[in-house]
Amino acid sequence: MSLFDLRNANARYNGAAVLSNITLSIAAGERVALVGQSGAGKSTLLRMLYEQRAEEAALLPQELGLVRVLSVFHNIYMGRLNLHSVWYNFINLVRPMAREVKEVREIAVRLGLEEKLFEPTGELSGGQQQRTAVGRALNQDSDILIGDEPVSAVDEHQSRVVLESINERHKTVLIAMHDITLAITYADRIVGLRGGAIVLDQPTAGMVPSDLDDLYRN
Amino acid sequence: MFVAIAVLGLFLADLEIIGADPWSEFGRMALGAVTPDFTATDRLFDAVLQTLAFAILGVAVANVFGFALALAFHYRFVRVGCAFIRAIHELFWALIFLQIFGLSPLTGILAIAIPYAGIIAKVYSEILEEADPAPARAAPSGSGAISIFLFARLPDAWVHFKHYSLYRLECGLRSSAVLGFVGLPTLGFHLDSAFKQGSYSEVSALLILFYIIIATMRYWVHKRLLPAYLIAAVIALPSGVSISMTNVVRFFTEDILPHPIRVAESIDGAVLEKLWDWIANLLITQAVPGAFNTIVLTMIALVGAGACALAMFPLISPKFFGKKGRTIGHVLLVVARSTPEYILAYVFLQLWGPSMAPAIVALSLHNGAIIGHLIGRHTESMATRSDSPKGLNLYGYEILPRVYPQFLAFLFYRWEVIMRETAILGILGIPTLGFYIDSAFADIRYDRALVLILLTAFLNIGVDALSRRIRYRLRLKTTLNHA
Amino acid sequence: MKKFLTTVMCVFGLMSVAHAETFTFTAIPDEDESRLRARFDKVATYLSDKLGVDVRYVPVKSYAAAVTAFRNDQVQMAWFGGLSGVRARQLVAGSEAVAQGYEDQFFITYFIANAKTGLSASDDFPSGIKGKTFTFGSKGSTSGRLMPEFHIREKLSGSPDDVFKKVGFSGDHSRTIALVQSGAYEVGAVNFKVWGNEMKAGKIDPSKIKIIWKTPTYPDYQWSVRGDVGKKFGADFKAKVTKALLDMKDPDLLSSFPRKSFVPAANSDYKPILDVGKSIGLID
Repeated sequence: MSLFDLRNANARYNGAAVLSNITLSIAAGERVALVGQSGAGKSTLLRMLYEQRAEEAALLPQELGLVRVLSVFHNIYMGRLNLHSVWYNFINLVRPMAREVKEVREIAVRLGLEEKLFEPTGELSGGQQQRTAVGRALNQDSDILIGDEPVSAVDEHQSRVVLESINERHKTVLIAMHDITLAITYADRIVGLRGGAIVLDQPTAGMVPSDLDDLYRN
Repeated sequence: MFVAIAVLGLFLADLEIIGADPWSEFGRMALGAVTPDFTATDRLFDAVLQTLAFAILGVAVANVFGFALALAFHYRFVRVGCAFIRAIHELFWALIFLQIFGLSPLTGILAIAIPYAGIIAKVYSEILEEADPAPARAAPSGSGAISIFLFARLPDAWVHFKHYSLYRLECGLRSSAVLGFVGLPTLGFHLDSAFKQGSYSEVSALLILFYIIIATMRYWVHKRLLPAYLIAAVIALPSGVSISMTNVVRFFTEDILPHPIRVAESIDGAVLEKLWDWIANLLITQAVPGAFNTIVLTMIALVGAGACALAMFPLISPKFFGKKGRTIGHVLLVVARSTPEYILAYVFLQLWGPSMAPAIVALSLHNGAIIGHLIGRHTESMATRSDSPKGLNLYGYEILPRVYPQFLAFLFYRWEVIMRETAILGILGIPTLGFYIDSAFADIRYDRALVLILLTAFLNIGVDALSRRIRYRLRLKTTLNHA
Repeated sequence: MKKFLTTVMCVFGLMSVAHAETFTFTAIPDEDESRLRARFDKVATYLSDKLGVDVRYVPVKSYAAAVTAFRNDQVQMAWFGGLSGVRARQLVAGSEAVAQGYEDQFFITYFIANAKTGLSASDDFPSGIKGKTFTFGSKGSTSGRLMPEFHIREKLSGSPDDVFKKVGFSGDHSRTIALVQSGAYEVGAVNFKVWGNEMKAGKIDPSKIKIIWKTPTYPDYQWSVRGDVGKKFGADFKAKVTKALLDMKDPDLLSSFPRKSFVPAANSDYKPILDVGKSIGLID
């Protein structure tokens, strides 16, 4: 049984076709990387897929969706807003509880954000902000993660930590990314987009980066 | 077109300066200004304390209710209600509450809190609307609307709330001071006496204290100190005036009923006829001339404020003046915009007698300084070519065209404020609606006062709606925190 | 937020705390405030001595505020003018005029003019003031508004707005004198007692301003007491207050009003004021 199913799906933006005739099915437990040039329709496709499982999936949008005036702790804590009562959330907003800090700290340590735990995210670097958003998704009680370029602003070493953590935490992973090497390493299936259409859909086993050159040729 | 209306207004307005010798009086005022006497009023310290107490409590209460109303702002009746309560000037609220609660602290607190709650509700709801929607989308589904609001929307808005509250507190201090003119024990009480007695050294001492309080606000307003201030404010309020429920009930069930109905045994045709006469008489002799003068004065003052703003903004713009020049400009603008227009008008009235001229000058200067300040700030971040022209050419060809849309936006935004102030200046004797309202209160005819106050409220709401439509059509946008 | 709420609760809590019974009174603000305060603080001390209760003077900013304070029982007694007294007693059932100044039985308003107008003193109503600028005192004043307006309407057959070039309300008698003296207004109407006070204080320059007409006499200022003071301060309290007022002999106190002495008064003494008020539409 598949978690995500698109049959001949189309999407338009301002009258222009962004996606055309997409047929895609993703089963639980799959780790899929979406690759392709910018403007190929990756974000739109991710959004369409997210809408199919909005109730259960953790979302890691390209614009991150961080609350800039709140600290790293609060932003990561937000991943669990749905698990607690309003009062519990309110108390943690005003004065974080030791128990919650401990849990969030573990995630922050892993992502190299421990020193910044109580700094407003608006004052962090782009990479740190991106990792905070990842932390929020990791903290979310969800088997599915949908991420749009989650490592675009972090260095190679951090990227690996991030993707490993995601793979450990979430069973089904759908990520759009531009680094082909990382995609092949951490995904087990690659979907290539070009001009709003799927032009490639293969398992990563035995794949080398040059296999994807066609996607980026002008 | 607005300039044309204003010019037309100038012909209709009574501008005569009737002080036979205004300059000798002005000389005395100037002398007083440079020889402030801080020992003249023995109750000076108390007055400062009361001014602060009313402002802090009024703004605090307004914040609580304004915030709650902002959350319900999508209901039409809340929006209309807020528009209505903020269309009535705090001085009118004070006059109403004086009848109900007398000189009890509640009068001052409510007079500030009610109109401010209406303003704050509108501004806060706009801030919340403009908050970044992305975090809410990224929150896990099933989080509950309140939790999402707390984490994803409130924190962003909170920063704006804080800035805006601070600005409101500054307004609150001005309002609080002005409430003294109708009898509350704030700075205005002593200003009024000092002016009337011509003790201008005392006047200048009071005003200097007032400027100091406002200018130093950012040093003494601190989040952690707020609870202490609130408690201190409560303690500082005058005590000993009790509130009687019978007064409250009587005001609503008797005082504000139109006279023909109040004295009637039962409602019949004859009473209704008398009621009609009563209304017609009120409309013809007071409401219509009052409204006419209010509109004429508003239009002239609006254009005057625009002219003042365009003349004043270069004073604080780094594009035109060096550091020293700008400091002088800043002091000028701070004085012009911190002095409530009521007090400015009062000063000019002493000089020129009660025509529209003092009101026009006061409103133009005050509002011009506020807009000029905002525009001047705006030019700071403006990049000009290094080979751009200097002086008047720079002004006319480079800066003015660029700030003009912003300028218009601010000006139209102030339109309603100017209208509200215009009505109030009637209390000083200029025959706008406020003059007739003040007369009605002086004659203990609250029924008439209420009808006239309602009329001013509707005028204000009308102008507010009109200005919003014009701004919308011209696609003008004002930044939120400078309402 | 919660802090705000708690504090708001505190405000209301504190305000409801009852205060020990203090007998409070006010006075219409017809003159310079500092002078009023000095005078009535002395009166409070005097009454406190005589009556054996705390007595406090509450200053107000307008005639209407004095009436309202009396009506709302925030003061139990007031030094009213004729018109404000009539209004106040109409609003408070059982209230009574208990004492008036000796001179208040035959009070007078002076019409005063700036010297530049060329108007001169006469026994007949000075019709030459027609078309000039004119200032009353307070809107609610007897000597500064009611009586002069009555005579103006009668002698010039028109409302002040019709017969004068411009009409103003200075706020109090001291201001009226100052405004006419400076020429801000050409003509004005002023309480003859305040005129005398200002003359003594040296604030009047006879070369710039002069009296051009004196109205016929009418009853004016009086002490009015609420009918329910007995309930709070003892059954015979009204009589005690009245006696204390009539017994005021300290020349220093009396001259501050200035009145020769205080004499008994009754509500009926003010019938003429009520009639005039109704006739010119100031009382419904």
